[in-house]
Amino acid sequence: MNNIIDFQHRMAAHCETGTLTALFNYSGLKITEPLVFGIANGIFFGYLETDNFPFPTFIVRSRPGQIRKNITSRLGIKLKENTYKDVAKGEAALDKLILNNIPTAAQVDFFYMDYMPDWQRVHINVHFILVTGIKDDYYVVSDSYYPKISELKKESMRKARWAGGHMPPKGFLFYPEKVPTEIDFRKPIIKGIKNACRNMIGLPVPFIGVKGIYKFANKVKEWPLLARDTEHLSHEIMKINILLEDQGTGGAGFRFMYASFLQQASEILGNNNLADMSKRMMLNGDEWRKISYFAAKIGKNRDLGPDKLAELSELIRKRGDEEKSFFTDLKKMV
Amino acid sequence: MKEKELYVDFKPQQAVYYVEKDDSSYGPVVSGSQLSHDYLDDFYAKRKNLEKSLRDQIANNEISPVYYYMLLQEMGIGDLASRVGVFKFTLKKHFKPQGFKKLSLAMLKKYADVFDVPLSSMLQVIIVKEDDKSNLEIEKMKTKNDCFELFKIGVKK
Repeated sequence: MNNIIDFQHRMAAHCETGTLTALFNYSGLKITEPLVFGIANGIFFGYLETDNFPFPTFIVRSRPGQIRKNITSRLGIKLKENTYKDVAKGEAALDKLILNNIPTAAQVDFFYMDYMPDWQRVHINVHFILVTGIKDDYYVVSDSYYPKISELKKESMRKARWAGGHMPPKGFLFYPEKVPTEIDFRKPIIKGIKNACRNMIGLPVPFIGVKGIYKFANKVKEWPLLARDTEHLSHEIMKINILLEDQGTGGAGFRFMYASFLQQASEILGNNNLADMSKRMMLNGDEWRKISYFAAKIGKNRDLGPDKLAELSELIRKRGDEEKSFFTDLKKMV
Repeated sequence: MKEKELYVDFKPQQAVYYVEKDDSSYGPVVSGSQLSHDYLDDFYAKRKNLEKSLRDQIANNEISPVYYYMLLQEMGIGDLASRVGVFKFTLKKHFKPQGFKKLSLAMLKKYADVFDVPLSSMLQVIIVKEDDKSNLEIEKMKTKNDCFELFKIGVKK
């Protein structure tokens, strides 16, 4: 019952776009990760205060699963998707697919990916990995966040696929059924840009898009009231850096990847204005990265007085201003 | 971000970042994590302090091990309640020692599974006195009985 599919492992910035890109490339469609990200309008901002997280947090990408839905409908790709209530059936289905030489993507709880360094492992139910083989007690997995192909115990995989909790994976599996190899990217790109603009500036929700950035800027000043002590506050402030840089964003909370998408889009559409916007997005990303550095520095030095938090808040508010004008301009171009 | 400005040499944690390359095209490069490279010691120091302060609180009968593991693994109340399959107000009762003492063994096993620790770890914390654990061999073994685990400690030869 052993079978290892010959699969070219590649690291990617983000798990969902990375998994989709790898599957499309394997099926013969030439597409890059930024294109997948941009066409599916993955760029986003949201400030969340729910008890599903231990502390207020923010997100920089659209709702997990949305990228998959958008990219498949816009490019006319057909995926076979299934969730499994029954653990035994779900495991048998995955084993069967691997034995039939079909690389399959699975939704898992990131915490159980025991090949990752333990300081990175947190409970996030919306991680995606590619399963590319079975070897005795292990699955062979290709994880976009890990430099090489790795092995995951079947027991860990079981826990990860049926973790329960917020946005539970429910044993979710998907693999491509029909992937066209020749696609005209022009229309999907325009649709992706339009939807990204709508998400960032058009939605009347006070914690989504640019409004979310402003809310984050205001609320971060109140974080000391929510923290248990200085060390907890320091940890949460330093997590701003993790969420922007290290949690699979390609740097600066996906802003660098979006700049890369706009550059590729300008070449495909032959639109020079988009190339200028791409440079502007890169500079915007640099400023986001400065926020990460600043947060890490004040967190490490426990220099978390009201003046420093006000400075941090001001930096974030400026990003809100810039992104508001950026997406307003971008909307006019397409 | 230019490619040269980004690069950090940190093998244990690597990720893909999108940067401006020399020919002014934007593309992916693999680099180490700047945060982990600079501040990992700080992260572990804070974690150690948190562990100790929570352990003391359990010992003083102020909180329960459920609360201890929830904070250490950074889970939200809503998330944990739905993983274990209880209401949020029930979960909050289990945060206190009085509520924790009323837990059934089956419920305790559910918590242990969610936190991915042995069942026995819900009732005790094993601390190694030495800071340097490199010459110690610690082996956790599961048995066919899911309420019984073996814990072997030895000195490496």
